[in-house]
Amino acid sequence: MTRNVVVIAVSLLVACVDESGPPLVVSDVVIKRPIPGATVSAGYLELKNTSGQPITITGIASPQFESVEIHETIIADGIVGMRPVAQLSIAPGLSVRLEPGGKHLMLKQADSEAETVTLQLYSGSEMIISLDAKFASPSY
Amino acid sequence: MRPKNILIAIAAGIALAAGGAVAYRISAPAVMPTTATVLPVPMPLPEFSLLDQYGTAFGPERFRGQWSLVFFGFTHCPDICPLTLQVLATAKRRLIDRRHTPLPYIIFVSVDPERDTPEVIGQYVEHFGTDTLGVTGDAIELRRLTDGLGIYFARTPTDGDGYSVDHSTVVLLINPDGDFRAVFGSPHDADNFVRDLPLIQSRR
Repeated sequence: MTRNVVVIAVSLLVACVDESGPPLVVSDVVIKRPIPGATVSAGYLELKNTSGQPITITGIASPQFESVEIHETIIADGIVGMRPVAQLSIAPGLSVRLEPGGKHLMLKQADSEAETVTLQLYSGSEMIISLDAKFASPSY
Repeated sequence: MRPKNILIAIAAGIALAAGGAVAYRISAPAVMPTTATVLPVPMPLPEFSLLDQYGTAFGPERFRGQWSLVFFGFTHCPDICPLTLQVLATAKRRLIDRRHTPLPYIIFVSVDPERDTPEVIGQYVEHFGTDTLGVTGDAIELRRLTDGLGIYFARTPTDGDGYSVDHSTVVLLINPDGDFRAVFGSPHDADNFVRDLPLIQSRR
């Protein structure tokens, strides 16, 4: 019983701390420049939902690209395909990683002059977070 | 011991040693490729006529005289295609570091010839270095090559009037006779090529 009380107390403390921070924490952001000749490139990042509610990303905007979409690389039976992901849901307290060979950002028609990229993540019409990242080398 | 007996003893000793060596060779397990699948019989390539990145004709004869690692993809593929080409380039650099010969040529064949012109694919493959060659060309000729090798590709529509291309993930190894010799399945890792390619080359 005492142990349960301690666990509940700690959980409440964590919940209180989380309330003060941003609901969505973005890390490990890598936004690749297109390879010369290509008009698309990929972006990778980790999204952690620190709130007590599910968060659903329904769109991403960026002034440095014609469009930003969430895609998923799917490999089955030796065949690879890329499919759009309409929305990305992140459960409370959990993280979703966009990484090479899996879910990723599909970045189209980059502004070749840009050194820094701004990404605005939306849930419906509400912008949840805006972040800046340096353009990374196209190499993996 | 008389000289004649000494000769017989030496001959018997040599025979025993040789026999032992042969027996060892027969019984010792052969070092086999661990990730590549080697075709029991090398398979000739079909007839086809494509273009390399310089606009020069690229047919089956261009594979003769060197080992080639061939990957099929397209430049509008931002994730798995550059990842795979990077793996192949890394493997080749490691083989160079080991002073391995003969080195393989890396050939990237576009399954999206409509958007991947020779100029586009030329710029693209240059990024990977290691003499990677880009190949594209007529869609019907491309289909002759891919059908002959069991390579799949098909367009899939995306938003608006855009499309993506689903395609096989394998990397094919073509031998210097211009024959299909082995296939590397995904997921690709540079170490797989560094380990298995020399083994397959030695079995030629």
